[in-house]
Amino acid sequence: MMNLAWIVPLFPLGSFILLLLFGQRWKQASAYVGIAATLLSLLLAFAVLVDRLGGSTYEANWTWMTLGDVTLTAGISVTALNAWMLVVVALVSWLVHVYSQGYMAGDERFSTFYAYLGLFTFAMLGLVLSPNLLQAYIFWELVGLGSFLLIGFYFYKEEAKAAAKKAFIMTRIGDVGFFIGMMLLFWQTNSFDYDDIFRAVGDGTLSPGMTMLAAILIFIGAIGKSGQFPLHTWLPDAMEGPTPVSALIHAATMVAAGVYLVAALFPLYEASHAAMMTVAAIGGVTAIFAATIGLVQTDIKRVLAYSTISQLGYMMLALGAGSYVAAIFHLTTHAFFKALLFLAAGSVIHAVHTQNIEEMGGLWRRLPWTAPLFLIGALSISGVPLFAGFFSKDEILAAAWTNGPRLLFWLAVAAALLTSFYMFRLFFLVFAGKARRHEDAHEAPASMVAPMLVLGVLSIASGYMQTPWFGSFLGEWLTDGTYHHEAAPGWIAVIATVVSLAGILLAWLMYGAQKMPRDWLSARVPYIDELLRRHYYIDDIYRFTVVALVSFISRLLAYVDRFLVEGLARLAAGIVGAAASAGSRGQNGQVQTYGAVTVSGLAILVVIFALTGGYWL
Amino acid sequence: MTFLSLLVFSPLLGIVLLMFVRKTDAKMIQWLGTAATVPPLILALFAFIQSGRGFRLEQLDEARDWVRLTDLPFLTDTAYVIRYELGIDGLSLVFIVLTAVLATLAAVASMLVKTEKKGFFLWLLALEIGMLGVFAAANFVWFFLFLEVTLVAMFFLVGKWGGFERERAAYGYLLYNGLGSALLLVVIAVLIARTGTANFALLHEMLHNPVAQGQWIAPLTEEGRRWLLGGLLLAFAVKLPAVPLHRWLIRVHVEAPPPVVMLHAGVLLKIAAYGMIRFGVGLFPDEFRAFAGAIAVFGVINVLYGALLALRQRELKHVLAYSSVSHMGVVLIGLGALNEAGIQGAVFQSVAHGLISALSFLLVGVLAHRMGTTDINRLGGLAKAMPLFSGYLLTAALALLGLPGMAGFVGEFTSFLGLFQTKPALAAAGALGLIFAAVYSLKAILDITFGRACDRQEAVVGWRDPQVSAASLGELQGGVVDLQAKEAVPAFILVALIVAVGVYPQLLAAPLDAVVETMMNGLGG
Repeated sequence: MMNLAWIVPLFPLGSFILLLLFGQRWKQASAYVGIAATLLSLLLAFAVLVDRLGGSTYEANWTWMTLGDVTLTAGISVTALNAWMLVVVALVSWLVHVYSQGYMAGDERFSTFYAYLGLFTFAMLGLVLSPNLLQAYIFWELVGLGSFLLIGFYFYKEEAKAAAKKAFIMTRIGDVGFFIGMMLLFWQTNSFDYDDIFRAVGDGTLSPGMTMLAAILIFIGAIGKSGQFPLHTWLPDAMEGPTPVSALIHAATMVAAGVYLVAALFPLYEASHAAMMTVAAIGGVTAIFAATIGLVQTDIKRVLAYSTISQLGYMMLALGAGSYVAAIFHLTTHAFFKALLFLAAGSVIHAVHTQNIEEMGGLWRRLPWTAPLFLIGALSISGVPLFAGFFSKDEILAAAWTNGPRLLFWLAVAAALLTSFYMFRLFFLVFAGKARRHEDAHEAPASMVAPMLVLGVLSIASGYMQTPWFGSFLGEWLTDGTYHHEAAPGWIAVIATVVSLAGILLAWLMYGAQKMPRDWLSARVPYIDELLRRHYYIDDIYRFTVVALVSFISRLLAYVDRFLVEGLARLAAGIVGAAASAGSRGQNGQVQTYGAVTVSGLAILVVIFALTGGYWL
Repeated sequence: MTFLSLLVFSPLLGIVLLMFVRKTDAKMIQWLGTAATVPPLILALFAFIQSGRGFRLEQLDEARDWVRLTDLPFLTDTAYVIRYELGIDGLSLVFIVLTAVLATLAAVASMLVKTEKKGFFLWLLALEIGMLGVFAAANFVWFFLFLEVTLVAMFFLVGKWGGFERERAAYGYLLYNGLGSALLLVVIAVLIARTGTANFALLHEMLHNPVAQGQWIAPLTEEGRRWLLGGLLLAFAVKLPAVPLHRWLIRVHVEAPPPVVMLHAGVLLKIAAYGMIRFGVGLFPDEFRAFAGAIAVFGVINVLYGALLALRQRELKHVLAYSSVSHMGVVLIGLGALNEAGIQGAVFQSVAHGLISALSFLLVGVLAHRMGTTDINRLGGLAKAMPLFSGYLLTAALALLGLPGMAGFVGEFTSFLGLFQTKPALAAAGALGLIFAAVYSLKAILDITFGRACDRQEAVVGWRDPQVSAASLGELQGGVVDLQAKEAVPAFILVALIVAVGVYPQLLAAPLDAVVETMMNGLGG
């Protein structure tokens, strides 16, 4: 089946093309095309995974372009990581396709929505099958396109327009880093292929300095795509897109592509201590940084967005600490529980038509399916024992303790506390207490609940692939049997449990039982509260530094263009004009003048000829 | 064999037939004018397909005696004989196909031109002959003759059918390009005087082969060669254009009627790229090496300068004009790299930019026709009223910013790949242009199609395009019409070509391979 893996991305591509052509005619039936296409992808992806479980890596390449002796190829590569990602992506995408049928029902551009979903899924599946950097880059940008189109889906809203533009540009900044890193690697190794690059790292063809430089440059791409500090600012704004999109693209798959990329290039990163430290530090800082902002957000989707940034930071921290398996494990569990949380949030928004959590409340009884499912997601992300998030987070903390700097470990622990606090703040504000408004809120249709149920089950079950108790199935398989569980002290799991329960307790005290005043923080340190509400002023800093600088240079050049360059051109034209009028003044009909000019011209030519012998130049 | 003559001069038939059509019969003129561009298209595609199947293009060479400049007894028979010579290789073929395709599409797009249609099509077809001839010429004299045909045709097309400042734009065009041509003429004259021939192949032979050096009428010193190459490069730098010689381009982009800009940005600018490759790298490879660094620097300057200025513009045509400057910088970057990747990249980028700018200006023409303005400040939210048009416009923006999977990426990627081998730091600086490209294209296009809908009345008041006839102004008072089938077809073809080249660049790389390899051998690398 692995040799058929290249077909997996083609189903959604077909769905995209068909819906672009005929979507207007098919209207609501467009959903079935998208759902069927992703289901086929999912089934085939499963088959590929099963095949890979018992086999070895499969790779196939075709010529894409020849440049002299250099042949650039396109192809597929089914490694353990790729086969795994293929299933995760196809599964979440399929569930989101199903969910959207209810969520987007009645939208004027229903078929366009499914077309874009198809385009995105195609690109994402193509990305995780890439055997070389160039192809990865191509799909990397195409997933960005899908994300851009879907963020701007409600194109008539100014906010959506701004958010789509911002998402594309911020990620492009990262992509240029990726681009430069990729080019540098190419001329060092004469290939874009991962295997060739790893070989060059192994046999020392690639100097340590170049390894570090390329690894960090490519990591800039990952920073952009995965919303890591300091290129994270587009991700919260991306919540302008329809909620199923936030679940698929901005939680489960595309934003995790940065993690995937670093994982796919892991041997390159492992070869450079500095690069690994950079990844770990950016991840650790992002984890705590985004979590603090998540504390004060009032938009349900923005809380989840900052939480996503923070969780992606965890994954980067895991990679930087050398635990490839922990990162992919957390990527997987996060894909499930965060998609669940977003879909449940979508269900809430669907019911109450607002995203402001301060206007919600008491929805527990009104949304009998959504509420418990959201709770499962919240428990999982908070790292409560027996839920999937507990196992994957524990793995990361263990890796950070054994390999990472101590500071990053403690940051991660603190971020875990904040995570459970803001998640349960969200939970209590939305579902607990008295219904503040929205007496008519009702549960979503079955097409929306069913995908959430599946994700709910996975948000618990997916943790048991890799536990200290039953065995490290995922790790064994991802590393082809060379996996050894980090011998981390047992107290880490205890600490993780304690902080997560403490966060929940605190949230309950403040927002559930209301035994503590809610303005506990803002009353004591109002400036910190303000700092958090303004997202650490990062957007403003950009506005007054980078943006201001570029627009200053641009304005300066506009003046140069208008006055200096144009002025020179006018001057040249003027000289020609002056020469012309001088020349025409000589043409006055006086034969003596003509004769004099002719003779002196001849004299000049004779002199030149005499001096150079006719061989000037 | 007269295949090439037929290819180049077949639009002449249309010109002759058009003479007999009444001036007022707009429908007939449109139909005939478009049909006249089809024969070269068919022939060009035929040649392209045949060469892909292994047909050797040298078999198409043709030559006839034309003029003999001198009859001195001590000279050999061939000296100072200027013949009518046409001949193509993979490089010229790529450009010929591009020209033929864009000429047909521009003719279709000319349906939006309402005034003096007959004269318009006469000049348009003359322009096509000139462009095809430039790429098919096998000697310098004919290259130059065809080049001047394009110059004259463009001058009238801009000067007569352009916007309000059309005459200024036309004279600016003539002045800059005339000076470029004059310089080129000097170089050509010196070469012919010294070698006694204008034929590319013979010149190539004489410049490279020590044995053939004996045939020189008067040898050329190293320094002389460098001067000639410098002159060539400067002449083509005006036509590319390289900053700071670009001001004429901005005016032409803004003032010329959109179908003419499709050809101008699509093909005419590429003549410069073609000239730099064919004559610069082809005839003076060793001397070119000395200029490569400077060319790459100018390329990076072009990329950044054009992109940064495009950021500020609030008139769509200005945005596209500066983006042309920026994209032509990528051609220079490829040439400055002076390796296989770079030179192929320069050609890819030329073709890509040709297709993309044709698409952009096709849509600009429609926009000007519908809304009476291309001023971004007066537009907004068009996606609601014109979803299909907006979709195409967004596609054009994505192509413009070099999205992978589209032609622009292939051009940029390959050119940069070339420069990263020779000058990585410079290339990295140029790569910043990729960010600015995303900013200016998205900013301009999203402000037109996304967001709140503009007040259409206000847009109409701002109309300034004389091509917008009173009739279409009346049309404006009613509902805005989305892209019509006859406009959508050329747009679709362009998008299909852009995607085809982007997805499978080997389509273009295959015919270029042999040519680039020969050049690389000339470079001794």
